[in-house]
Parts: sequence; C-alpha cells; structure tokens
Amino acid sequence: MNDIATQPMRTGSAISFELHHEISQFLYLEAELLDDWQFRDWLALLDDDISYTMRTVVNAQTRDRRRDVAPPTTWIFNDNKFQLERRVARLETGMAWAEEPPSRTRHVISNLHVTPTERSDEFDIRLNYILYRSQKERDQTFYVGMRKDRIRQSHSGSAWKIFRREILLDQVVLHSHNLSVFF
Amino acid sequence: MAKKIDVNSLIDSKNGRVTPSIYTDLDIYQLEMARIFGRCWLFLAHESQIPKAGDFFNTYMGEDPIVVVRQRDGSIKAFLNQCRHRSMRVSFADSGNARAFTCPYHGWSYGVNGDLIDVPLESRAYPQGLCKEKWGLQEVPCVENYKGLIFGNWDVTAPALKEYMGDIAWYMDGVLDRREGGTEIIGGVHKWVIDCNWKFPAEQFASDQYHALFTHASAVQVLGAKSDSDDKALGKGQTARPVWETAKDAVQYGEDGHGSGFFFTENPDANVWVDGAVSQYFRDTYPEAEARLGKIRALRLAGHNNMFPTLSWLNGTATLRVWHPRGPHQVEVWAFCIADKNASDEVKEAFERSATRAFGPAGFLEQDDSENWTEVQKVLRGQRAKNTPLCMEMGLNQERRRDDGVPGTTNYIFSETAARSMYRRWADLLISETWEEVLQRTQQFQQEVMK
Repeated sequence: MNDIATQPMRTGSAISFELHHEISQFLYLEAELLDDWQFRDWLALLDDDISYTMRTVVNAQTRDRRRDVAPPTTWIFNDNKFQLERRVARLETGMAWAEEPPSRTRHVISNLHVTPTERSDEFDIRLNYILYRSQKERDQTFYVGMRKDRIRQSHSGSAWKIFRREILLDQVVLHSHNLSVFF
Repeated sequence: MAKKIDVNSLIDSKNGRVTPSIYTDLDIYQLEMARIFGRCWLFLAHESQIPKAGDFFNTYMGEDPIVVVRQRDGSIKAFLNQCRHRSMRVSFADSGNARAFTCPYHGWSYGVNGDLIDVPLESRAYPQGLCKEKWGLQEVPCVENYKGLIFGNWDVTAPALKEYMGDIAWYMDGVLDRREGGTEIIGGVHKWVIDCNWKFPAEQFASDQYHALFTHASAVQVLGAKSDSDDKALGKGQTARPVWETAKDAVQYGEDGHGSGFFFTENPDANVWVDGAVSQYFRDTYPEAEARLGKIRALRLAGHNNMFPTLSWLNGTATLRVWHPRGPHQVEVWAFCIADKNASDEVKEAFERSATRAFGPAGFLEQDDSENWTEVQKVLRGQRAKNTPLCMEMGLNQERRRDDGVPGTTNYIFSETAARSMYRRWADLLISETWEEVLQRTQQFQQEVMK
C-alpha cells in the first residue's frame, strides 16, 4: 500500500453506462497512441496543467504505519507538460540510447473505476495497469501497478484531457534498469 | 576457491589494459566480497536519516544485510541483520524507529545495542542454560562518521577512515562542507537494479567525464538553452550550456582507488541540467562556500567522484549513491539526494526535483548510463569478448602533481588515470593478504605513475 492508494476515493453517485464507456474508450485510445509511438499525439491528450508523478514505495511495518511512521519517499517522475514534452523531444533526437532502438510496449489497463468530482466536467479515475516492455533482442520487463488519473472535458462534447496522473509502481527496488517509457 | 586466479594477468594499469573477464568471473566476485567488501570502508547511511535514539536504517555491506541504529547515547552502531539462531532477518522496514528487533521466526529479540534480550521459553527450551551474552547481533566493528556520512568496515586491521580516504576527502568536502550545519538527505532513496558488474558504474563515476558528451547528448540538447537566449527551460537561474563547453580548464584525480573529475569555471555554475533555483542557490551562497573551502572547491559545482569501492556522487546535481553488488552480473543502485541542511525548504524541494529530473531510474541522463552498462554486460557473455583486452590508455603517462592546491595524482579530465588507479588498487586488494601489503603495492604503483 502506498500513500496514494489510501487516500479515500469520492463516493458520489455512479456515472452512467454511456459515460463509463466513453471514458474507457478515451483511455484505450491514449494507450494505443503510446504503444504506437505517437508521442506528439499523446501529448495533445494532456492538458497544459498536467501533473504526471510517480513516487518511490517503501517497506514499513504495520505497527509503524498505524502510528504514521513510514520511511521517507521521493519522486521518480515529477513532470509538468513542459517536462513531458522534453522527454518526447529527447526520444526524437535519435540519441536517447535507452530507447534506441525504441522499446515495444503494451499498455494494458483494467479495474476501471470512474467517479464524479465536485466539478461536473471533471472525473476521477482509478485503474490497475500492466505495462509490458520488450526491448532490444530479448529484454522484457513488466511494470505492474495502479494509476489515478483526473480528466476534464472543458465544454460539453469537446475532447477529454488528462490533467493529473499519479502512478504507483509496486516495487521497492525497481527490477528495471531504467524507466524510459511513459506510463 | 575453485581455481587460482592470476589477477595481475588481467589488469595492466601501467600500459592501460583491462581484461573484461574481471566483470563476469564468479570466482573473482567471491574474492571481491571477501577482500574488498570485507576489508574496505563502505558507506552505510547519512546521520540525518537516523536522528533519534532507536532510529534505524537498513542497508547492505556487499550482499550482507546491515541495520544501522542510533543508540541511546547518540552514537551509531551497525549490525548484521541476521538472527544468531537460524539466520533470519530481524529488521524488515526500510527504516523506522524500534525499541527492539524481534526475529519473526522463533521470537528471539535484540536490543537496539545488539544484545540478545529475550528468548521465548528460555528456561524450558534451554534447561542447560543459554549464555545470551554470546549471542547478540554481530556488530560491525569499525564505524566512523565523516562529516555526516556513516561508514562501516569489517576489518579491524584496516587503515582508519580518514587515512583510507586520502585525498578524496578534499574532493568530498566540496559537497559536505559548503555551509555551516553540513548536509542532510532530502526525501527517500531511489533503489533499482542494473544488470551489470558493480565496477562499471564505480569506474565511470571515478574516471569517465568522457562519456557525458556522447551518452548524454540527447539530455543536454533538450534541457539546455541557447547561450544568448533568456529561454531557460529549467528556471531563470539555469546555467545555459554544459560546463564542458564553457570551462577554462579541467582536472581528473586518481589515487588509492578513488577518482574524481571537474571543470574550472569562472563563476559558480552548476551543470546545465540542474534546476535554475538550485543554480541560483549556489550563486547566492557562494561567499560562504568560498570562505570555508577556498575558490577552487567553492566554484566546483559540476563533477564526478567515486570513493573506492562503491560510493559515488556528483557535485551540483546533489546525487549520492552506492552500488551494492548483486553477483558478478548485477548491481543494486541506492541513490540519495544530498543538500545543505541550512538551505530553505523551497531550495531543498528544488534540489529533490532537480536530482530526480536528471538522475534516478527515470532521469533524463541516467536512463542512458544504465543502458550502456547492461549492453556491455551482455556482450561479455561471449567467450571471445570477455577475454579481449580493452583499451584504458587515455592520458597515459601524462599524470602530474599540481601546484594550485588540487591534491593527489592528477591529469586532464579526459583521461583514465583514475580508472588505472582504481583497477590497480582493486588488484592489490585481491592479491594481498594484509593491508600493509596493499598500501605498499599502492605506493609503489603511484611512484611508477609519477616517474
């Protein structure tokens, strides 16, 4: 368990089938763009105020957690729109050696839980993900964890935008030599 | 030992050759665990991580789990994290505060001073009596603090920490001693594995500024600013261009296995990927740093370092890391963000943001370092490859001592003086029975280098 997992989800009224379907289709499209290396198109789905973060996770005893004693954590990703765009620009240089040749990825998402927020045009999303990465000749990595997104639709019928992504990766010691792919 | 290893045939520091089977051979690895990780000073923790009595931090010496604990009298002890009954680990949290360490297997319980204080069913299970005084946690016999960094050593015959450090202490002070109050660790620890031998990252941080121009070309390109532009991507305090483009001179140091490199700049310039707020902080605090350290080190805000065997850090970028060996083919990186204790909270946040952006598993620069090392390790699966000597000749026979106060054996920054010194010290440790022999061999090599 991590801090971001223990924050209470809002328990407002359930959303409609139609809206759930629409949001899930939007998230599948986003995953496709990443898997197809369409990184500029992916950036276009992120709002200008996007906060894209991942923090380390830690081992602490249950007894200590009850007393709110836990080892400190730090950022793994702490990106705004500009910094995400720079990551994409880095891939485009052809000299981002961690991604040369580029990794093949499959973003698999499930356990989609959408809840309304206090704003009628914004929704909270919690989901689990498996991100498969195949690299070079035979390297492969599975990143498994949970994601909390917040999305908005500024005007009725307009495109959805993601403006918050908190990523939890369930490893204290990451079994991957680098995180050069997008979650 | 399965076979006799002729270490000297694998390393030729005089002529700049290394045979890469030293990165893959299991017998060599086992010898390293005994003779290097069993005899050298290893970084354990920063004192700021365990401020109160009973505070502990779990780490490793080589592959041995170690718990570092603040004592009631304020001193710091370190213990093998191993129950003396059946070898179970007794402390599992990454860090925390404890009154005792109780083994989950049979419930033996140890005080924070390592004493065995409770054995369940003691009188019934050990009717013949159990001498609990003999079965405390095994204590690391040598623990010393250098300006906030806690080091441990299993070997009571080893040189004292300060003597072991030699001139690398002078270089380290450039990070640890800039301001009154010293340093602290900001936030938690990045931990991740890289499938490569521990000597690749250690050597790179000791001796390899050369790689940065090519390996990190993409990061520098996308994070840098044009020198005539106000468009500073990382905040208005950002240094616009990498210091290797603007520095007037540069130096590499390599002695006693340790290594360092840095550029001489006109102004207190952190490197291009450092947050503007951090770069500005270095400018604002420059007078204090200069008063404490002198001009050369106060200006030294870009550079690489390794204290043999596995403690590395970068000036300015504020990353400090230890490369825990995990067999010949894997290393576990533990990276800490280190900053001046007296910096403001906003500046500390900028330090953390800055170190994460450039380094750590998702860092713009570090991603590409780990890629190199894993690919090298894969190539060395090949029988031909692992027995093909590699060129370590850069700057050979150009070593000199400087008269400007920069200590030790030095060279131009683009050289492999520190690598040659590191591998000579590495070999000396593997072949020597005693520290006396090690020190003699090292001295002899360094005299030859300066001939």
